[in-house]
Amino acid sequence: MPDAAARAPEMTPYQPAPAPARPAPAQPARQVVITGLGAVTAAGRGTGALLGLVLAGEPAFAPVTRFAVQRCRATVAAALPGSPVLADELAAVIDDACAAAAMGWADRNGTGLLMALHSDAAAARDPRARQATGSLAGEMAQRCGLVGLLRTYTTACVAASTATADAAAMIVAGQADRVVVAAGYLVDQDSFAVFDAGRALAADGQLRPFSKGRRGMLLGDGLAAIVLESAAMASHRGAPPLARLAGWGRAGDAYHVCQPRPDGTGLARAIESALRRAQVGRGEVGYVNASGSGTVFGDAAESAALHRTFGPAVRSIPVSSTKSVHGHALEASALLELVATVLALRSGQLPVNAGFLAPDDECDLDLVLGTARQRRPGYALSLNAAFGGANTALLVGAA
Amino acid sequence: MSTVPAFDLAVRDDPAGLAVLARARWPGRSGEGLPSIPGFIVSSFSPLVAELADRCLRRYFGTSPADRGRGERTAVLLASTSGDLATAAAVAGAVDAGRRVPPLLFYQSNPNAIVGYLTARWGLAGPVVCTSPAADALGDALRLAVLLIGDGDADAVLVIVAEQGTPGAGSDRGTAMLVGPKSWPPAPTRQEGDE
Repeated sequence: MPDAAARAPEMTPYQPAPAPARPAPAQPARQVVITGLGAVTAAGRGTGALLGLVLAGEPAFAPVTRFAVQRCRATVAAALPGSPVLADELAAVIDDACAAAAMGWADRNGTGLLMALHSDAAAARDPRARQATGSLAGEMAQRCGLVGLLRTYTTACVAASTATADAAAMIVAGQADRVVVAAGYLVDQDSFAVFDAGRALAADGQLRPFSKGRRGMLLGDGLAAIVLESAAMASHRGAPPLARLAGWGRAGDAYHVCQPRPDGTGLARAIESALRRAQVGRGEVGYVNASGSGTVFGDAAESAALHRTFGPAVRSIPVSSTKSVHGHALEASALLELVATVLALRSGQLPVNAGFLAPDDECDLDLVLGTARQRRPGYALSLNAAFGGANTALLVGAA
Repeated sequence: MSTVPAFDLAVRDDPAGLAVLARARWPGRSGEGLPSIPGFIVSSFSPLVAELADRCLRRYFGTSPADRGRGERTAVLLASTSGDLATAAAVAGAVDAGRRVPPLLFYQSNPNAIVGYLTARWGLAGPVVCTSPAADALGDALRLAVLLIGDGDADAVLVIVAEQGTPGAGSDRGTAMLVGPKSWPPAPTRQEGDE
């Protein structure tokens, strides 16, 4: 547990009983498909670089050179070389996703943009830029020709997955036929310093999800974009689905400022909501891309959620956290991991859970260790959990 | 129960029968100060969010926690165009001066933290969502609340819109609304400080 978490306000948390989630399955024509993907990590620009990274299982962490870290406990991150510009990288990754979805400029008109962004370090220093987070979203909409609903999510590590769930909900409800979800985070000195001060970063320079001896998270550059649309719209314009977003769920812990509920009930309710919405049985899930941030309590709680949901059968479901190679991209991480999950399903290979030292009794899972596992499941879950007890589950179905 | 124009717009075509079950705003009476929250320092943003939530939830549920059945199906949606300016400035100031960032700012720097504080106290186990709308924060938040309820992960949403004041740009201000089904019981009685 980070020191800062230990100093958080003491509370007597409310003890909720499992509550039924009541999402209804989508009608076939309103089912949600993914037709375009884009991604950027320290391994490079493009989905090919991301897939290569997560299948190789070679962490991209290296000494930070973008800013001074002499005063910090941790000194590494997974960062692109040079000084990339967030707005330029975001515009490029959105264009990549739109191009992959065969969206011309005419298709973009009327397409909403939901974004997930970290707070802007420049805005903290310049009062005139105080609405920079929302301004960046506006700039992206303008540069990319996306004229429609515009909103930025700031829900920490579930910001992008929440945006994805909401985009899907809009499509199912008939409020939109197509939505672009985009997210971006580049490691900066402010966020590095504040996570380091909270002793959240792994001082041993490795992010070791679900491993004995794990010491925390590490930050990484990450940008991603996806095009979500109704199955009917994709079919109408002849855009082949890359995957289906079969289900999604969101639930809260009602537990603590920054610690997860140890028994995993909040995350388990999010998973159950996603499965129920998709009308998919537990036995059909063949891979879990875990939140797995490498923190002692977070990984144990996520493991508890998986055991609570799947029971003993969880030991036969492959699990990995791709944060172990691309790092934690904060608000963008969930979208990066969703893209990695789609790419894994399509490749027939499951990503490696890197950084593993030894089994931890509190994380009794079938981790993908060493090399990518040959498997082509019909469904995969992408899970995320955040401060404040925010949990999300996205269920991806093979196209 | 009452409605307001922005909410009417958000639910105009909603068949679920939603209503504003309770609401609160800040500032209320002149001379009021925001209560401090242990563990939250430097900035008024989190205390503003907590006070708005407490005022609204007290008017509907009475004392914390909420009753189990409704609390577990209540989401929290925090929308702010400004965000927590003072905490971000404190982090930036420490970094620029070469000082160590106060550890408490680690969790406080994210809006989820104060939402976690209030959901734990009130037993609100629905989804947690934080947004930074480009404009019309209340209208956008209410539309999103209606979407969230319609999508099935919550029956009600505590919508909080909080904007932090800055020198020359007004004082802290905000609104909270508990949006839920008309079939839920109305708030018990009007209380001191009600609008």
